[in-house]
Amino acid sequence: MIRLQDISYVRLGTADLEGATNFATSCLGLEIAFQTKDSVYFKSDQREHTLCYFTGSPADQTAAFEVAEKSDLEAAAAELDRIGHPVRVGTEKEAELRRVRSFIAFTDPTGNNIELVWRPAYGSRRYHGERDAGITGFSHIGLCTTDAARDEVFWTKVCNARVSDRIGDAALLRIDEVHHTIALFPTNRAGIQHINHQVESGDDVMRSFNFLSERQVPMVFGPGRHPTSSARFLYFEGPDGMVFEYSSGVRSIADELLYRERQFPFGPKGFCEWGAKPQIKEFRN
Amino acid sequence: MIEQLRYVRLVVEEIGQAAAFAQDVLGLEPVDRTEQIATFRSDFRDHTLVFSKGIDTHQSLGLEVRYPADLDDLRSKLGSLGIAAQAGSPQECELRKAKAMLWFEDFSGNRLELVVRPMNSGWRYFASRDAGITGLEDVIIRSTSVERDISIWCEVFGAKVSDWAGDAVYLRFDGAHHRIALFPAERAGILAVEYAVENVNLLMRNYYVLQNRQIGILHGPGRRPASEQLFLTFAGPGDVLFSFVSEGAAFDERRIPRQFPAGKEGLCGWGSECKIPEFGGNTDGGGRERTASA
Repeated sequence: MIRLQDISYVRLGTADLEGATNFATSCLGLEIAFQTKDSVYFKSDQREHTLCYFTGSPADQTAAFEVAEKSDLEAAAAELDRIGHPVRVGTEKEAELRRVRSFIAFTDPTGNNIELVWRPAYGSRRYHGERDAGITGFSHIGLCTTDAARDEVFWTKVCNARVSDRIGDAALLRIDEVHHTIALFPTNRAGIQHINHQVESGDDVMRSFNFLSERQVPMVFGPGRHPTSSARFLYFEGPDGMVFEYSSGVRSIADELLYRERQFPFGPKGFCEWGAKPQIKEFRN
Repeated sequence: MIEQLRYVRLVVEEIGQAAAFAQDVLGLEPVDRTEQIATFRSDFRDHTLVFSKGIDTHQSLGLEVRYPADLDDLRSKLGSLGIAAQAGSPQECELRKAKAMLWFEDFSGNRLELVVRPMNSGWRYFASRDAGITGLEDVIIRSTSVERDISIWCEVFGAKVSDWAGDAVYLRFDGAHHRIALFPAERAGILAVEYAVENVNLLMRNYYVLQNRQIGILHGPGRRPASEQLFLTFAGPGDVLFSFVSEGAAFDERRIPRQFPAGKEGLCGWGSECKIPEFGGNTDGGGRERTASA
């Protein structure tokens, strides 16, 4: 069993590093943590970085999860190897750039690039965004799946994720008390489907709706409220068609023994209890 | 002296359309209906909204006072401000389902009515649509002379100033942050009638319902810095606006009134689009349309 402790960061390739950086700072409200010649690392909370844009193909996307012990990395590598997922051990230089002590890389059954990291760095200085978006931190991702049932087995049997709810066949998975840290959305490709940052309050969600609308950032879903996690949300499009989400008020699941996952319809009513209709491909029939 | 808000009476060209708006958009419960009048309930009060044609000459706002003797007292106090108040006729009282009535015009020309023992409903409110309305919350009034009109509210009625936004004033006379807001304008008239809804979920559900029905949303959804109310203001029959409001802070009696900026800045902490001229909004279609994914 691979024990995921937390989600650490996402890495996104882009052909326009300057444009992506501009979006990440002035629209999304992240803070530049550090940069190299061909990559920029962004901070959204106490961690050294939670997002990296690098010069490369926009299809080159990676999500990283933290494990507790170095031995967890070795055990995970052995387990992945046993079930036929090739594992690559990150080089020292790569680890240094990611501000982690060591990491391994592999792909999930759909082909999503995943990294497991040990001892990712925390900053001594707190996050101070480029604008007052009210961000409290990077929180979850939507992952593409080409076979929802198969990938649900991978994340819940090989890894330690638990199903919190399902919207149609899309499973919302938790690895701690937060309602979901990974959400698997059926589609025909591999990749990160959306990237979520939590904001302080519903007020922040609404302020960003007006702020980003005025700057012509395409709104693709919301403002709304998820019946599953009870979070208030706003989805909008960033560079290379990547969907970003702000949300606030996600439900916490404290009682593992009594909680039962629920089935919601795959349609606007399963995604929003206020009546917003998604313009996001993976959220539509 | 003022017990509570009771009703708004609006003069309309076409009763049918106005009544359809009250039922379908606001989701209010119809009470009385004739060819000349349509009244609607929103809470424990028999009615809080009246559309009339051919009965009233002016729109009016109804406020409750406790005793008939209060009316005499108010009449003399108004007289000392140079305002001549008149008693309502038995017929006018009957139409308002009240025992006694006094009416006058404020310095701007807004007709205010004071009623004693207006009817409450013995039956609970049952909405036409699940808009989540919990009651008539406050009324925004245009004023051509805010300073002088404040003197009526504060000196005669005993209301207090809660906050200022530019030269606009929020007035309270019970536990709520405000029941009346006076906004500087070039003419008299009721600017907006505001109904409270249960919570943010109802406010936002109504936002999408209104969008789907293509009702013109003129301000919001937003949050008012002064009262901390959530609001959504939209066009109603005639030139009167309606709002759904929710949440909001109770007034802390230990503090003094605060001054907020005039216009959009002082009226919304979310930066929502505003198309209401009295609120400093654009009326020429300027400003970028917000496109929520309805």
